[in-house]
Amino acid sequence: MAEHVGFSPWRSRPPRRVGGGVEAASDPSIGVLTEARLPRVTRVKNKSSSKLQITAEQIIREAREQREPEHPRGPARKIADADELAEYLLGERKKFEDAVRRAASCGSPSAWVRYAEWEERRGDLHRARSVYERALSSSAAAQRDHALWVRYAEFEMRSRCVSHARNVWDRAVALLPRVDQLWLKYAHMEETLGAVANARQVFDRWMAWRPGASGWCSYAKFELRYGEVDHARAVYERFVAEHPRPEALIRYAKFEAKRGEVERARWVYERAADVLTDDNEDAEALFMVFAEFEEGCGEMERAPTIYKYALDKMPKGRTDELYRKLLAFEKQFGECEGIEDAIVGKRRIQYEDEVRKNPLNYDSWFDLIRLEESVGEKERIREVYERAVTNVPPAEEKRYWRRYILPMD
Amino acid sequence: MGKETVATVAEANAKSLPECINSSNPFHECSDYCVRKIAEARQRLDDEVPDSWKRPPEERTLHPDCINASNPYHDCSEYCFKRIADAKAGSERAQKEDAGKSDATEQQSEDNEAGKQEDAGGADDGYPQMTEKQRKLFELQLKMNEARKANQQAMVAEKKRMEPRGESRGVSKQKWLEDRKKKIGKLLDSNGLDMSKAYMLDTQETAEVKYKKWEKEPAPHGWDVFNQKTLYDAYKKRTKNIEVDMEAYNKAKESDPEFYRDASSLQYGKVSKVPEENIDKMVKELKDREAKRQSFSRRRKFNEDKDIDSINDRNEHFNKKIERAFGKYTLEIKNNLERGTALPD
Repeated sequence: MAEHVGFSPWRSRPPRRVGGGVEAASDPSIGVLTEARLPRVTRVKNKSSSKLQITAEQIIREAREQREPEHPRGPARKIADADELAEYLLGERKKFEDAVRRAASCGSPSAWVRYAEWEERRGDLHRARSVYERALSSSAAAQRDHALWVRYAEFEMRSRCVSHARNVWDRAVALLPRVDQLWLKYAHMEETLGAVANARQVFDRWMAWRPGASGWCSYAKFELRYGEVDHARAVYERFVAEHPRPEALIRYAKFEAKRGEVERARWVYERAADVLTDDNEDAEALFMVFAEFEEGCGEMERAPTIYKYALDKMPKGRTDELYRKLLAFEKQFGECEGIEDAIVGKRRIQYEDEVRKNPLNYDSWFDLIRLEESVGEKERIREVYERAVTNVPPAEEKRYWRRYILPMD
Repeated sequence: MGKETVATVAEANAKSLPECINSSNPFHECSDYCVRKIAEARQRLDDEVPDSWKRPPEERTLHPDCINASNPYHDCSEYCFKRIADAKAGSERAQKEDAGKSDATEQQSEDNEAGKQEDAGGADDGYPQMTEKQRKLFELQLKMNEARKANQQAMVAEKKRMEPRGESRGVSKQKWLEDRKKKIGKLLDSNGLDMSKAYMLDTQETAEVKYKKWEKEPAPHGWDVFNQKTLYDAYKKRTKNIEVDMEAYNKAKESDPEFYRDASSLQYGKVSKVPEENIDKMVKELKDREAKRQSFSRRRKFNEDKDIDSINDRNEHFNKKIERAFGKYTLEIKNNLERGTALPD
C-alpha cells in the first residue's frame, strides 16, 4: 500500500481502504482483479478525516510533473530521393488540408494563410497562389476579409511578381472600396516601384469613392512629395468641395500658409467664415485659427476684429476660449483701451444675462450701472438707468420699494 | 562571592571593546587580535552593505543650528540652510524691534543695516562660519548626497521591476492603499492635508505631466488596435521612408504623354516595365515591416515562484488568458477561498 496517496493515471480509481465492501479479492475462487470489490451499501463508521490528506494543489503539481512532453517529435526523417520527398510533402499537405477543413466552420483564415505561407517558403508559387484563391472563394465572408487580401497581395509582392500583385490589388480594391488600408497599400506599392502615374491614377480612383479626410490628405501629400503644388491645390479644392466643414478648410488654409501664399490663405479663411453655420462647434476653432494666422502675418488690426466678429456671431455658451484668446492678444499687442474694452465687454455680457434672467434683482442692475459708469459713455449710462427704472417692484411692500428708491440719486 | 565577582568582572571588562564578539564574556580581555578582527568585521560590513543608509555615515553635511542635528542620519540640504537663514533673520528682526521700538528712525536705519547685513550674510546662505571655498565644497557635497539618494532610489525601483511579481492573489486593494498611505502619509500630515487632497502635493511639473496624460486619447487596445486611424498613421510613417527619385520622375514625365492620369484614363491596366532595383526596394521594405512586426508584442518574464495551477502548457496558457479576462473580478472571491471564510464587508 502506498504511503503517500497519489493519482495514478493508469488506474481508474485511486486505491482506497474503505470500511465497507466485501473483499471478494481474497477469495481465490472468484477470478477477478485483486482490487475489484463487490458493491455494497457502505455505512461509514469512521467519520474522522483520514490520516493521509491530499490537497488540490498537490494533485495538480503531481499531474504537472507526470505530463507527457508537448508535441512529441517523431524520429528525424532523412529524405533520400524525389519519391520520399513527394511522400513527405503529401503528408504535410494532408495535415494542412485537414486544418483548413476544420477551420472552415469558424471565420478565421489563419489556417489558409499558414498553408499558403508554407507553400511560399518551399518556393512553390503556383500552389501558394491556388491556396490563396481557394481561401478567397471558400466563403462569402472570406471575400470581404481585407486582411486576407492584404496577405495575398503581400505574398505576390514578396515573390517579385509585380503584375500579379497589381491584379490582386485591383480586385481587392474593387471588392472593398471602403477599406482605406487597401487603397493606401496599393498606392504605396506603386509609389515604391516608381510608377508615379499609376499611383496617381489609383488615388484618383479612390477619390471617386469619396473617402474621409485622411484619404484626401494622403493624396495631397503624395502630390506634394513630387513638388506638384498646383495639383495639390486642385486636390484640396476638391476636398473642400466634398467636405464643406471647418476642419477641411483649416487644413487647406494651413497648406497655403505653409507655402507662403498669404493671400490665398486669407481667401480660404474668408470662404470658411462664409460657409459656416453658427451653431457649429468647430466654428470657434476656425475663428481662433484664423485670428492666429492673422497675428502671424502681422495684421494687428484684423486679428481683434476677427475675434469680435466671432464673439458676435457665436452663441454665448461657447465663447470662453475666444475671450481668453482675445484678452491675451490685447495684452500682447493692443493698447490700454483695447484691453479695457475686451474686459468690459465680457463683463457687460455677464451682467446683461443676469438682469435679463432676473430683472427685479437690483444688485445686478447696480453692478451693470457701475460698470457702465466706469467706462464713462454717457449715452450708455443713461440708457441703462432708464431700463433699470422701468423695473418697478411688484408688490406694495416697503422693503422692495426702499431698495428701488434709495440709491437712485 | 557576589562582590568579588563583580569586582573581577569590572576589572576584566576594562579592556573589552564593545564591538568585540566576545564582549558578552565577562572575563574576556581584548587584545591585538581582537582589534584586528573588529576591523575586519567592519570592512566586511562595508563591502556587503554598500548602502550607506544601513549605518549613519561618518561624514555628513551638518549645520549645528539645524533642528534635525540630533538625527544621526540627517543630511542638511538647501532647504535646511534656507530655514536656518530665515529663522536667524526672523530672530534678528525680532530683537531689533524689541530694542528700537521707541525710536522709529533709529529702527529704520537699523533695519536698513540689518538688511544690508543680511544681504552680506545672505551671500553665505546662512552659514556664515564658512569661507567661499568651504561653501563651494559644501554645495558639492550636497549635490553628491542628492545624487547618492537618487541612485539608491533608482536601484530599489529597478530591483523591484526586475524580479518577478509577487503573489498578487492573496492581496487585495487594501495593501496598495496602505502602501500609498505610508509613502505620502507623512508629507500629508506635515502639510495638514487629508488623503482626499493628496493632489496638493504635486509639483507643477508633475501636474503638467498629469494634464498631458488626461488630454491624450487613450490608445486603442483589444480588437480595436488596427482601426482605420491607426492604419492611416502607420501608412504616414511608411511614407516618410519613401525615397523620392526626382530624376526618374522628370524623365517619366517627359516620356509619357498621359502622365497626369485621372481615374477615367485608358492607360489603366497597361503593363509598365518596372526596373529591378525598384522591386528590390519594395521587397526590402516589406521585409523591414515584417521584422518590425515582431517587436509588436514582447515576451513576458517567467515567474518561477508563482503557484502552479495548471497540469499542462496548454492549461497554463489558458489560465493566463482567463486570469487576464476575469482576474480582477474574481480576486476577492479567491481571497475568501484562500482564507476559508468570507469577510463581512
